[in-house]
Amino acid sequence: MKIKSILLSIPLLLLSAFALAQNNIAVTGTVTDNQGQPLPGASVVLKGTTTGVQTDFDGNYALADIPGSGTLVFSYIGFSTQEVPVNGRTVINVALEEDTQALDEVVVVGYGELKVKDLTSSITTVDSEVLDLAPVGQPMQALQGRVAGLQIVNNGGPGQSPTVRVRGIGSYNTGASGPLFVVDGAFFNDIDFLNPADIASISVLKDASAAAIYGVRAANGVVLIETKSGKFNQKPQITYDAYTGYQIPQNVLTMANAEQFTTLALESESEPDAEFILNAMQRYGRSRINPNVPDVNTDWYDEIMRVALIQNHSLNMTGGTETATYAIGANYFDQGGILKMKNEYERFNLRAKIDFQVTDWLKVGGNMVLSNATRFDAEDSAWRQAYYAVPILPVFDPILAEDPDVFPTPYANAQNLGYRGGQNPFPTMDFSENREKIRNTLANFYAEIDLIEDKLKFRTAYNHNFRSVNRREVRLPFFLGDNFQREDASLLKRNVTISNQIWDNTLTYTQTFGKHDLTIMGGTSFRDEAFDLLQARGLNFPLSGEEAYFLDQAQTIVIAGTGDDGAREYGLSYFGRVSYNFDNRYLLYGTFRADGTNKYQEKWGYFPTIGAGWVVSEESFFPQNDVLNYLKLRGSWGKLGNDKVPSSEGSITSEVVTTALGDILFSGLNTSSDFTALKWEVTEETNVGLSARMFNNNLSIEADYYVRDTEDAVIPVLRPLIPGATRQNVGEIRNTGFELALNWDKRVSEDFSYSIGGNFATLTNEVLGLGGAEFLDAGTAEFRQRSIVGESLFAFYGREVIGVYQNDAQIQADPVAVANDLEPGDFIYRDINGDGDITDDDRTVLGSFLPTYSFGFNLGFNYKNWDFSASAIGQGGNSILNRKRGEVIFTNDTNWDRDFAINRWHGEGTTNSYPSSKGIRKGWNQRLNNWFIEDGDFFRLQNITLGYTINKGQAINGLPQVRIYATAEKPLTIFDYNGFNPEVPNGVDNQTYPVPAVYTIGVNVKI
Amino acid sequence: MMKLLKKIKLQTLLSALLVLAIGCSDKLDEPELNNNFAGGTDFTQTEDMVLSLIGVYEAFQSRGWEQPLLIAVRGDDVNAGGLGDQQDFAETDLFNYNKDYWMYNSLWENVYVDVITAHTAMEQIQRYQEVADAEGKALGDQYIAEAKVLRAIMLFHISQVWGDVFIPTSSETSELFELESVPTQDEVMQHISDQMDEAIPHLPVMHPNERTDLPGGVTVYTALAIKALANQELENYQAVADACAQIINSGEFSLFPDFYELFKIPGKLSDEMILSMQYSDFGQGEGDREAHLYAPYGPQNWTPAVEGASSGWGFFEPSMKFIKFMLDRGETVRLETSVLFTDRGIAEIQADPNYSDLPGFVSNTTRDGDVINDYARALFASGKHYLPSNQLIPGRTAYGSNKNYNIIRYAEILLMYAEALTHGATGSGMTADQAVNMVRERAGMPPLTGVTLDQVLDEKYAELSMEWGKRYYDMVRLGRTDELSYDGRTFTPDKAFLPYPQAQVDQFPILQQAQDQ
Repeated sequence: MKIKSILLSIPLLLLSAFALAQNNIAVTGTVTDNQGQPLPGASVVLKGTTTGVQTDFDGNYALADIPGSGTLVFSYIGFSTQEVPVNGRTVINVALEEDTQALDEVVVVGYGELKVKDLTSSITTVDSEVLDLAPVGQPMQALQGRVAGLQIVNNGGPGQSPTVRVRGIGSYNTGASGPLFVVDGAFFNDIDFLNPADIASISVLKDASAAAIYGVRAANGVVLIETKSGKFNQKPQITYDAYTGYQIPQNVLTMANAEQFTTLALESESEPDAEFILNAMQRYGRSRINPNVPDVNTDWYDEIMRVALIQNHSLNMTGGTETATYAIGANYFDQGGILKMKNEYERFNLRAKIDFQVTDWLKVGGNMVLSNATRFDAEDSAWRQAYYAVPILPVFDPILAEDPDVFPTPYANAQNLGYRGGQNPFPTMDFSENREKIRNTLANFYAEIDLIEDKLKFRTAYNHNFRSVNRREVRLPFFLGDNFQREDASLLKRNVTISNQIWDNTLTYTQTFGKHDLTIMGGTSFRDEAFDLLQARGLNFPLSGEEAYFLDQAQTIVIAGTGDDGAREYGLSYFGRVSYNFDNRYLLYGTFRADGTNKYQEKWGYFPTIGAGWVVSEESFFPQNDVLNYLKLRGSWGKLGNDKVPSSEGSITSEVVTTALGDILFSGLNTSSDFTALKWEVTEETNVGLSARMFNNNLSIEADYYVRDTEDAVIPVLRPLIPGATRQNVGEIRNTGFELALNWDKRVSEDFSYSIGGNFATLTNEVLGLGGAEFLDAGTAEFRQRSIVGESLFAFYGREVIGVYQNDAQIQADPVAVANDLEPGDFIYRDINGDGDITDDDRTVLGSFLPTYSFGFNLGFNYKNWDFSASAIGQGGNSILNRKRGEVIFTNDTNWDRDFAINRWHGEGTTNSYPSSKGIRKGWNQRLNNWFIEDGDFFRLQNITLGYTINKGQAINGLPQVRIYATAEKPLTIFDYNGFNPEVPNGVDNQTYPVPAVYTIGVNVKI
Repeated sequence: MMKLLKKIKLQTLLSALLVLAIGCSDKLDEPELNNNFAGGTDFTQTEDMVLSLIGVYEAFQSRGWEQPLLIAVRGDDVNAGGLGDQQDFAETDLFNYNKDYWMYNSLWENVYVDVITAHTAMEQIQRYQEVADAEGKALGDQYIAEAKVLRAIMLFHISQVWGDVFIPTSSETSELFELESVPTQDEVMQHISDQMDEAIPHLPVMHPNERTDLPGGVTVYTALAIKALANQELENYQAVADACAQIINSGEFSLFPDFYELFKIPGKLSDEMILSMQYSDFGQGEGDREAHLYAPYGPQNWTPAVEGASSGWGFFEPSMKFIKFMLDRGETVRLETSVLFTDRGIAEIQADPNYSDLPGFVSNTTRDGDVINDYARALFASGKHYLPSNQLIPGRTAYGSNKNYNIIRYAEILLMYAEALTHGATGSGMTADQAVNMVRERAGMPPLTGVTLDQVLDEKYAELSMEWGKRYYDMVRLGRTDELSYDGRTFTPDKAFLPYPQAQVDQFPILQQAQDQ
């Protein structure tokens, strides 16, 4: 290697000797990072020579006797190397770009760090710049489309956390399939309290080998988050970042208008429905354009939505002396909701992080994050009501305004037209308020002791997360009609406190001898997680305003509304890791964790993993070339546990019930008999992959293939005979996938650089076994989801539509149609078992809610003071159950989406895929079939950002560096699904909060 | 020195970690909080035994709105109503069944879950009995007997709807996977009758409204009434007559004088009631409330005498056939009580020239002053499920709030007894004439002599209409299916039972076999 590079440099030497002879000059300058921070100790070398110096404490360098036509090579660990032609200049200042693909970079791996080049497992690290791009309140939202194999399903509600899945789902329990978040060592299920700007890096530990160090908590993947800290010997830097903008509803589902609705109602041949139209014309008049249509045309979605504001202000200061570093900051984030009700999120964060090098063998530090948030939750049922509300109903009713009994607002009531319900979503929105005060304190302290200098290190860390959530639900009375009223004002108060403590102790031994590089770590971890809940409900307090929203003001406390609950879980773990590197060519890696918990009868679980890597490009036979610079092959295997499965079904339980006998309130006990002994779910995963750098390290490639098996998967099994399901360890489920991430980074000149990245992932989910059963049912009886061995879990299961009966001749010719009294406009189903009859034996798998592939692209340019970036994401292969349409089985008193209104069957030859308006009211057509199952494929422009920086790289001169930027977040989404949003967490769409497009402008000032 | 110091540090640390580990491992044995581990219940506290029984009453009284509705809808006394809404409910009334329809499965599984609750409670009570004294054991036997009676009436309804159904024998429902055949309807009814025989010796001998511990709870007469019902389904009329005679001869029961108020607040736990689901506002205008959702039975549009009282959905419409039958008989209070008329409905009756002249009580205004307005979905609403708005406790507005839901009343016992005698059974109480005439007298109808089966059945039609499909199941039992083919529907014997819900067939393929037979 050395010989080769010397050989290569001979011609260059000659060249420079030639240049030397021509014109030699002295060059000075400063090396900084792209934020203008000086980089001390950076190396500056004349290309092709050994001539070079290192920068001083202020990042300055001076080189004498350099050829004016030479090229200087600037390099610094963790930054991209830059080559700058001298071109006769005597002052060359350089700003180096941080290089996330640098092989010498270290990544956090849990209880320690590893160099990227030593990795044998699949870890993707995302740095803070990605987080800075997206104007989002929750850090994980910014990761959408950035990491292959990481699925983020957003919720548009302000302050709502997205659903996060790593490599499909490892567990099938609601709320138990999210990854473990580890923030500076503390465990979380939800990181809604963190300000994205406080995060230095996010590492996603995707495969079992990487995650296994977290043992029982790791089955759904692990996301490690490091908050920003200062650096030793760093001048103080103050950063102020602010953006503000609008959230605009997009892809709004179009519903049938009054005219289309009237047509549907008349075509239904239902007398009452025709009469309701007449009632509407009598009450509100006839349209002047079409006198057979009521003079009301309400677009309910348009009525209930608004443009909402979003704003964010962050102030941070970081710095360090020779013995201490600090990072302190404050953040204010405010996000309105696009639903027209008290619906917003406001968060104020403070944090401080300090590290002290006390002596040469002792380092201590601490970190505090205080978060105080108030969230007003939307009444999500308003979305459904707006879908179902008929367009011939106005928002306000002038006749009701005259009625002295109506209060407080004369919202129209569909019962006045004859419908069963009031339908109008405004009472739900106006007379409800759900406030949650979320206060979160994360404190951690650590001490690191060098027992043997540079070899044996002891670290003890104590973490405490204290979270309190105070919920207040207010329901105010209203009267809009006999059956559209709320008689009592009611108030619910629910206080939840969570106190989680973790104490970790680790010993790390590092030894280098010859070509051998060895790191051994061992440790213990003790967890104590406590949860408390207290709630009470009161009725009829003064309606004077918020000051009366106290239970003391209520006339009645509802006995059935009080609740008190608690949980205490303990965990004790022993773990260790060995990482070995021979000559940078052969890598070995192994971890082991023993986890104990008080949750299950089976107290202990053991989770081993091993990994190996071979750096082919370091072998002597590997030709040195500019195309393939680096190639590593790696493989790993590991076992993980999941203890998020609720433990309450581990015993026979009783619940207190009340009933009336002789007008006396009696309390009794109902004992549940569904005893199921649960144990941990165990996931086993094998991962093979390669890492490569090509074309002068400009292109980096990470490719992985994995097989992840979950054994003893806890699956809800329907209880025989009676409603509900019990969870049982009966499943064996396999997720397999291929992931590819490509990144091209190129610095064309000092003024121009660009990067292009893409990632692609596939996912195949298969049920391998169900404890002997061929299938298990899930979902509800009406919207059946079935897990069948060999198919995807929870697949939609129903009949397959192959057409629509077009005329009477076709009906008469088909015995099935005759037997079932069908008419033209009804569905023709496939006779799957071929017995000549259509029965429930003719049901089949209609689709899975899990996407089979997903991808993301990103693109960035820097030209002089301008920067531009764009990203896009997409997915496909998944199905969505359009339950909004499907719920016609519960009532027909509804509006329909325009897609149905236009495409419905209404005469021979009109369509062969949609039923008629009459048909959709019949049980024959309402049975779950693939008309209700739609494609979830989508493509979205995720983020576009354009920025301009004033005083770029001038920080060292004391000038503030100011970046002004504009962002469009999710400006465009393309999909076919008849809903707002193809992002539906579990594939069943009945009411999801739509995700708005966000347009912001911002400013970032660094001093 | 430095090295030594470090060694000491290391050793101290390691031993501290070891101590910590041992100290912490105890925590792994901590139990789950806030859980009444039934396994850990103190069964020596005999006085807590009643809690399990109250749990059964709660389960029994927690009927969802669609369940009694589906049980009752198919007779010639009532139509589905709710036109244009709940299409398959209306189709069921027309004997076109859809086993995927949500109501079928909901009725099946929600009644069975309460049957299972009764089993669990009986099992709990038995555990108390193991350590109880003689008095406690006897009380436990009574409680178990009460649970058996409540379980029996639920099984009875399920079997009326589906015919052959499962008979769970314990709280362990997976035992049903072992079955080789589904018990026939006769087996279910015989089982119910046998269960009542087991229960009767342990039950209190008094009127349910005389019970002070659990007012309106099960007594020996409740069990006898259910035994009579089961035997009636078995066409074992002597057993019917015997059980009814025991009730009649006890002298505990009498007909409530005012038929109209019988179904309203004054009728709650009256001397006529044998079994009802009880609901209450507990005398307060707000706060705790145990309720049934009566809205489906109510008119969809009204002007209540007390402003703000909620109306209903119009899902349960007395049939024109029934109304004309009542008018033909010259019925008064029973027709007034059974039907809420709209102007549109009255016009529809009068459209038939034979009925152009109607008695004064056929009016859209009830005697309590509630005005029933026209609405598109039905012509009439159910009067027996109606509570006048002026009987609501001020502050309450839900339709029918505070009203009990009757299941078995003394009038039915009298008519069942009379019917059994007309089938040839020997009566040990009064004569069939006496029994029928007691019922007629209260209704203001002249007495009959030498009553025939047809007359008893007409009397049942007039007296028990809109109550739990009793009319429909009588007609099916006696094969009088012509009566059920009315107003354009055609009943055939194969339509007697609903098909099993598909969700249940998926779980129990054995049901499909039973269906196919």
